[in-house]
Amino acid sequence: MSDSQLEQVLRQRQNSHQDIVDVDEPVIKLVIFSLGEQHFALAGESVKEVLPGTETVFFVPGMPASVEGVINVRGNIESVIQLHALMQLPNTVEKSSLHLTSILLARSKHMHSGLRVDRLLDVLDVAQNQVQPPPEALPDYLKPYVSGLLQFNGLAVAVLDVDALFNAWQTGQA
Amino acid sequence: MALDIKKFIGRFVEEAKEHLGRLASGLAEIEQGAVSAEKINSLFRSVHTLKGSSRMLKLEPITQVSHSLEDLLSALREERVTVNPPVIALLYQGVDALSDQVQQLIEHGQVDALSSVNAQLCQQLTAIAEGDVLNVVAVESAELKSSELKTQGSSSASAQPTLTASDTVRVKLDKLDELIKLMGELVSSHAGMRELAVTSLQLEQQLQQQLQGHLPVAMQQFSRNMRDIVLSQESLMQELHDKTLQMRMLPLAIVLDPAARLVRDMARSLGKQVECRIYGSEIELDRQMIDQLADPIIHLLRNALDHGIETPDIRQQKGKPVQGLLQISARQDGGWVVLEVRDDGQGLSLATIRDKALKKGLVSSEQLAEMSEQQVSDLIFEPGFSTSNIITEFSGRGVGMDVVKRSIVDDLQGVISLHTRIDKGTCFTLRLPLSLAMMRVLLIRAGEQVLGFTAQYVTELISVAPSALISVADRNAVIIRNEFVPVIQLVDLLKLPQASAPKRSLSRTRSDLLLLVIRVHNEKLALIVDELLDERDLVIKQLPEHLRSNPLISGMVTIGHNELVSLIHVPYVLDIARKARQPANRRAQTDQEKPKKRILVVDDSLNTREIERDVLEAWGYHVTLAEHGQEGLDKALAEQFDAVLTDVEMPIMDGFTLTARLREHERYQECPIIIITSREKESDRRRGIEVGADAYIVKGSFDQNSLVDTLKVLLD
Repeated sequence: MSDSQLEQVLRQRQNSHQDIVDVDEPVIKLVIFSLGEQHFALAGESVKEVLPGTETVFFVPGMPASVEGVINVRGNIESVIQLHALMQLPNTVEKSSLHLTSILLARSKHMHSGLRVDRLLDVLDVAQNQVQPPPEALPDYLKPYVSGLLQFNGLAVAVLDVDALFNAWQTGQA
Repeated sequence: MALDIKKFIGRFVEEAKEHLGRLASGLAEIEQGAVSAEKINSLFRSVHTLKGSSRMLKLEPITQVSHSLEDLLSALREERVTVNPPVIALLYQGVDALSDQVQQLIEHGQVDALSSVNAQLCQQLTAIAEGDVLNVVAVESAELKSSELKTQGSSSASAQPTLTASDTVRVKLDKLDELIKLMGELVSSHAGMRELAVTSLQLEQQLQQQLQGHLPVAMQQFSRNMRDIVLSQESLMQELHDKTLQMRMLPLAIVLDPAARLVRDMARSLGKQVECRIYGSEIELDRQMIDQLADPIIHLLRNALDHGIETPDIRQQKGKPVQGLLQISARQDGGWVVLEVRDDGQGLSLATIRDKALKKGLVSSEQLAEMSEQQVSDLIFEPGFSTSNIITEFSGRGVGMDVVKRSIVDDLQGVISLHTRIDKGTCFTLRLPLSLAMMRVLLIRAGEQVLGFTAQYVTELISVAPSALISVADRNAVIIRNEFVPVIQLVDLLKLPQASAPKRSLSRTRSDLLLLVIRVHNEKLALIVDELLDERDLVIKQLPEHLRSNPLISGMVTIGHNELVSLIHVPYVLDIARKARQPANRRAQTDQEKPKKRILVVDDSLNTREIERDVLEAWGYHVTLAEHGQEGLDKALAEQFDAVLTDVEMPIMDGFTLTARLREHERYQECPIIIITSREKESDRRRGIEVGADAYIVKGSFDQNSLVDTLKVLLD
């Protein structure tokens, strides 16, 4: 390989490197899922793990209705909270057993729990500027939890704030 | 007294090192000019602690040096002396001298190994502290030289005093818990491994049949190796599990050693001579238990000193050694630790206990007559009992043995019992689980749900025919030994999902009901459950923090293949059962606007009283309760009742006497009195009528309609 060739290659590499720098924007990881007819997302950093949803959920007596029960995650006892019940979404269609459901192990600063969602759609990196502030027209029952809006495959996805969700759950307990 | 001073020295050394380190760094800061009251204060505290703990171990040289250092530091604190280089030099010398002493202690491990005090140093420290500046200046130059010599000498004597490592490590408790949890996981995942080994054996046998014994040797070998490995892993795993659990354990010495000191001090102030012997303080218990054990133990010791062991002259009269003996011994018995607190004092006087129990109305004279001596002495655990008439400084200040019992039984999930003999002494025996993290659990099935109950709340498990239930106030009750015990469907009470299809349980072919009788103190409740699945020792896990506000669940246990089972908190079950009957009362009250008939119910059983009240209130009567005949009589005379319902067997005054006494009063000559009892004998019935009862209802044939009908007939 001659010197000029080498230089050429190096230059090319440098250029390509610069190209990447140009498009590099802050990205956030989002976990996108559906609840009934609606689509939501949680920030990737607040979702520790996604469980297939086939785990046996053990019923615990005396719990609030939104708590489905507890699961055993490698020796840790985690609660499973039904997200649609937590957000008090208008009752969606009675779920058939064929429905694919997942459990997201979510955590905020003060609390961690499994969240039952209807269907996990995707986990992806999104440029931060693609997430729009929540519109004014948001239904009242969603307002406290939604921190942004995103277009994903032509679907409107509401980005949820884990802290707000868990705080709401805990105040509901008191 | 054989005191193992070594153990204490070890602890002292650990502590001293910490303080010396603090002193050295604190001095350095002060030397660099960062003088503040807080800094000097913290130095003072460190030295003070050293003085205190060295004095306790009779480490005279260390005590003296720290004492002198303390003098100087307190002078600095009060600003009688200002910080200047000679003062700092002296402080350094003092700290160095202390470090040397501690180092010698580490090397030789005994008190006599300490070199004698550097008296000059001590004098100087004190002199400076007293502001004897002249003296200081005068000796300063000379002393500095000698101290240089001294420090050189000492540093060569103990070559590397700063590099000796501690042989203990402090670990955060939650890190340990994490480790223990992982260990538990490993053990349960190993259960899967064991199953694989079993499967491989089955496969091997199947193949052997199919191939008519011509199984490849390699296959047999593989299967055998697999089983061997699983087995050897299992024993390793068990060992590992035990070892990790042990890490949370602390020796009983932590509680018992200070207790011994306490005994000496108390004995002295009571004018008694007592020797305190401790055995088995090396036995280890879970940290959580150790923390909660101190109070009950101290209480027992105080009792023994105060009420048990006599004063020297009385002991002499009795021909006992003048010095009393108090022994605390611990030993391990299976999964329990047995702790005995034994004194050789005067013992508990059964006659006094009988008197007292009668006077306080804890038992009736009839009950007392039937009681064994053991049962009588156990009365001291009853609430409201305390044998000493005099309140003393040390015991008997309102807190009785019932509190001790409660903390042993409720908080520590243990058992307490006592043996006593007049003039021989008293012995309290505590049985404690090694750890609260592991408990005996009954697993039952109610509907579709498997639930756990910790064994100490369960009094019995009985099977009764449905016809044995009696219906009172919309609920059921069962009579267990002369007591109404409310019966409730666990499934209904906890709003559990009903079993979709009734499961056929092989153990009980008949339609009998299985009753789990739970008890907290005096209150009992019978729960209808479907099946007893198992009873064993299980590791208790906590619910996630945000779910702990649920008072119904005290924890979770893992059974079988990582299945989680909720552990029911029994006291709360009793609470909700109590609440469940409230609405019925209220409804009855709103129905009835006209003035209610007033009924007095006298029964010594809490459950029976409550049930009778529920029945009567449901029918619109106003009910007042009394616990025994005397209370009933007092209440009856204080206000007018329209009818009286009484049990027969009760403490202080029985139902026959009550009836007879009431009839003596004009107001109650015509008032209906109904005796409700489990005594079925005709002679009793006759006696009841003779003393003037209007009706005699036997509990066995009790049903609310007959009671209410009888009342109606009598009242209208």
